[in-house]
Parts: sequence; C-alpha cells; structure tokens
Amino acid sequence: MFFSKLIKKFGKINSAVLFICIILLLLEFAGHRHGEFKIEEFLFFPALFGYISCIVIFKIGVALRSIFMRDEDYYD
Amino acid sequence: MINSLPPGFIMFIGAFLIPFLPKLGRQVYMIFLVLLSAFSLFNGFGTHLTINVLDYNFIINHSDNLSLPFAIVFHIAAFITIIYGAHKDDWKENVAVISYAGAAIAALHAGDLFTLFFWWEATAFTSVFLILGGNTTRAYRAAFRYIVIQVGSGMFLLAGAVLFLYSNGNALLGQMSIDDTSGLLIFLAFGIKAAFPFLNGWLQDTYPEASEVGTVALSSFTTKLAIYALARSFAGTDILIYIGALMTFFPIFFAVIENDLRRVLAYSLNNQLGFMVVAVGIGTELAINGAVAHAFAHIIYKGLLFMSMGAVLYRVGTCKASELGGLFKYMPITAVCSIIGAISISAFPLFSGFVAKSLIMSSLGYEGLSFIYFMLLFASAGVLHHSGIKIPFFAFFAHQSGHKPKEAPLNMIVAMVIGSVLCILIGVFPSIFYQILPYSVDYQPYDFSHVISQLQLLTFAAFAFICLWHFKIYPPELNSTVLNSDWFYRRMFPAVISNVVNGLKVFNEKFSLNCFKSLTTIKNFFHDIMFENKIIDREAGFDAQIILQIFGIIVFILIFIHI
Repeated sequence: MFFSKLIKKFGKINSAVLFICIILLLLEFAGHRHGEFKIEEFLFFPALFGYISCIVIFKIGVALRSIFMRDEDYYD
Repeated sequence: MINSLPPGFIMFIGAFLIPFLPKLGRQVYMIFLVLLSAFSLFNGFGTHLTINVLDYNFIINHSDNLSLPFAIVFHIAAFITIIYGAHKDDWKENVAVISYAGAAIAALHAGDLFTLFFWWEATAFTSVFLILGGNTTRAYRAAFRYIVIQVGSGMFLLAGAVLFLYSNGNALLGQMSIDDTSGLLIFLAFGIKAAFPFLNGWLQDTYPEASEVGTVALSSFTTKLAIYALARSFAGTDILIYIGALMTFFPIFFAVIENDLRRVLAYSLNNQLGFMVVAVGIGTELAINGAVAHAFAHIIYKGLLFMSMGAVLYRVGTCKASELGGLFKYMPITAVCSIIGAISISAFPLFSGFVAKSLIMSSLGYEGLSFIYFMLLFASAGVLHHSGIKIPFFAFFAHQSGHKPKEAPLNMIVAMVIGSVLCILIGVFPSIFYQILPYSVDYQPYDFSHVISQLQLLTFAAFAFICLWHFKIYPPELNSTVLNSDWFYRRMFPAVISNVVNGLKVFNEKFSLNCFKSLTTIKNFFHDIMFENKIIDREAGFDAQIILQIFGIIVFILIFIHI
C-alpha cells in the first residue's frame, strides 16, 4: 500500500533510487567502512557528501547562468 | 626495417592511398592499417630505430612500459572510430582519422623532443580536417582558431627543445623540471594540449563543431597524448596537483549550464583530464598507474558517450538538450550504450571508471592530500551530475521532443557495443586490466569500504538530482552560449585592440585638428600685431624689419658659436 502510493507519487524509477538509497544506508551497518581520511568514517558521510555536493553544484550552476550565459549567436 | 618503424607510422603514410580506394575497400584498408600498426607493439621494450642527421640522433621508435598502454588504447580507439564512421562516404575524413591516429601513436614512441615535435604538429595538422569536416561556417572558424592554438603549442615545444638541447647537450624525452626555461616552455606546450585552466578554451570551442565521427576521433588522441607527455616528463611536479584539481573543479559548473550535449561532454573531458593531471602531479607508482588507467578507461567511455551523442546528432540533426528528449523509444540501443558510458564515467562499481579512478583516489589518500582528495570527491559527484545523468536524461528521457528518429546505423551500433563491452570488461576484470599498467600493482578496488562509499556518494547525488527535477526546481535548458576562456581571444582581445586602434585614430584626428587650430591662432595673433596694429607700415615697417633681421642674424651667430 505504502509502496504503491510512493510509486504513484514519485514514479517507478525515482522510487527505485530511493529504495536503493535506503538499502545503502542500512548496509553501512553490515561492516566497518573505512575511508582514506578519518572524517570519511563518520556515519553516512559519503551519502551526505554526495547529496550536498549535487545541490551545491546545482546552486552554483544556476548562479553562474546570469554571469556566463549569453545568446546563442553571441559569437556569430 | 619495417619492424623497427614506430607503430602508427604505417597508418600515417598509408592514409595517403585512401583517396584512390572505393568506399568499402577504404574501411577494410583502414582496419588493416590499424592491425598492421598494432602488430609492431609486439616488438618489445627498448629503442628500435634511431636516425642520425647532422650529428643529432633522432630517436624515432622507443617503447617502454609507459608508452605501451597508451599505444594499446590508441589502437583500440582508432579501430572503434573507423567502424563508427563506416556509414560515411567521405575519403577526406577517412584520411584525417587514420593519419591523425597514426601521428598520435607515433608520437607516443618518440624518444627525443624533436621527433615528438614533428608528430605533435602532425596531430595538429591532421586533426584540423576533422573539425573542417563539420562543414559549417562555425566549424571553419573554429578550425582556424584550433590550428593557431595547436601550432602555438608546437612552437613552445620547439623553443623548449632547442633551449634544452643547448643547455644539456641532448634532447632526450625524459624527466624535466619547470625551474628551467626550457622545461617551463615544454610544460606550457603540454599544458595547452592537456587543456590546463585558462588554456582550455580551444577544447570546448572546437570539438563540438566537428562532424559526429570527427568528435569521437578528436576526443581520443590529442589530450591523452598530452597526458602521456606530462607523465613522461613532469611526473611528481607538485604544481600539477593543484592545476589538475582546478581542472576537475571548474568545468563541472560550466557543464551543468551548457545546453549543447557534445559541449557538455567536452567540459566533462576537461574535468576527467584533471584527475589524470593530479595523478601525474603526485607521481608515485600507484598514482602514475592511476593516471594511465584513467586515460585508458576514459578514452573508451568518453568515446562511447561522444558516439552516442554523435548518433543522436546524425539522426536528429541537433545535440541541444533544449531540443531533445524522449528518444529512448526510438533509439533504445544508442540509449543503453549511452547509459553504460554514463555509468562508467560516473565510476559506478563494475564499470571501468571505478577501477581506474580508485587508484587515483587511493594514491591521494596515501599521500595525505586531504583537501585535494575532497575536491576530487566533489568533482566525482559533479561528473555524475553532468555526464552520468544530464547526458542520457536530456537526450533520451526528460520530455517528449517530438523527434521520431530511426535507430543509429548498424556500424555505429557495432562501435558503441564494442565500447560498452570494453567498459564492462575492464570494470569486471580489473586484475587483467592492471597488468598492462606501467608498474606492477597490488591493488584491490573491490572491498567493502570502497564499494559502499562510492555507491552511497553516487546514489545520493543522483537522488539529489531526482529531487531537483521532481519538484521542478531544476531550471529548463536554454539555447545559449556559455562563456569560456576562449572568450579572451574571441571577444576581449579583439575588443581591446579595436578600441586601442580607434582611440589612436580619434586622438590623431583631434591632435591634428588642434595643432592646425593653434597654428592658425598664432598666425592670426602675429598677423594682428604686424598688420592690424600697423607695426609694419611704410614709416616704421622697414626699420622694424631691418631690426628684426639683424636680431635674427645675431641670434643665429650666437647659436652657431655656442655649438
């Protein structure tokens, strides 16, 4: 019931990705995850880093639109 | 003698027969040339051919553990590109592809700077025809800019080589230092071709202007030849770590806002080169292995992505994200191949990018370069964003664009499938892949921590994109031009020069006018004194003139005596 609602609201592929995300978070507890640096060993560090990085890239990208974006025939 | 010729030479020379062959014969002949050239790779390591001219030894064919992996992947790339372009009946492009690939492979086997210079310029002059193959006004203009910059890189290399020979008595292609002028010039030459920050404009400017086949060929050779040259001569040069980190970092944002998907891939190429440059800068055996492995894997998956976008361009006539979408239904095989390329470049486990990039990230960890490590980790999330998701998503999914093209031609599909299979094989069997790397390596990319960390990073970055798209926060793609470092020589310098010239012109005009006015005023002033105030009338005039003349003569004599 919950899954059918989720799929209806969020779409099949998006729900699948969400499901995989949850599995990956749970797998964190299946063994000791070490990193190249100590900070990486914090709980869910790669997940948070990936999510935040993507948002930051998007935000900076949007901000840069106003600075670097010109008409298509700018050089013509 | 034939055995001692450098691999690639036979492709370069053999290209000149292509115009005289029929279409089918051309493809078979080109593949034959590649196989013949690849056969030379079995000659083993060492110097196989030197030619003495004017007491200088040109080392034409030198092979070692660094050149071999690059030579292998260059042959694979040439083979795939020929198959990919088999649908076209264009002998000019065929000549360009095979001679360009041949020149690049021969450059890998140059043992001295002057031989390298010859092949360095040969790659420039052969590849420019691939850009001209775009057959548009924009392509012609881009080709002109491209050749100027590439030849400029060659000139730096030549100047560096001459200075190096003068100061060292030889011009062997070996480890160099940027503390010498010669080393610095050569470093700059390599840096232009490796698309260092602010020297990268040519890459994004020109690659997307070539034909669909031309871009695939271009993406494989020039920049990776530069990475090879850097690894050969500047391994362990610290500044490369920071240059490389910047290269991984900045192109991400430009790729995110770029609309032309082939240009997005060109930015992505720049970003991937950054990973290799960082690894070369670290310079340890593990890092050099990482740089070579990444270059190897990159040539295949980037070629695959360019091939898939080339197929879209060939069928639909555009590669702009704003005009594409919903093509999965009509080009499913191309879409699947594109997704495999996207997964590979994003470095998902079991794909080639993962086993190559892990070497670089681990070498950063071993050296304790935490800041650079996290910059590259951030860049990895960026790669997923612009190449892993943006490319396949906007081309094959997103919204319905209304295009209903046919699937790509059979030869294109074969080439893409070969690329896809290689991406998977390298990812699944890393131990075999690692055997061709320069140094023997005892490295295991598939452990619990690596796999879980990488999967969490990428999946959550993908989830962030999904959230942005689902909640309609992600802005629509727009037809636009994104300013890059080529703006300096396409807009700023011409504008500055034009303004300076115009300014001088205006200054000259005003200066002339003012001088004329001043002289007229002075003339009128004396005219008033002499005539209107009647200084020169018949009574006083002659006296005044005589006095003035005598005074003038005295002054002249005084000046003459003084001198």
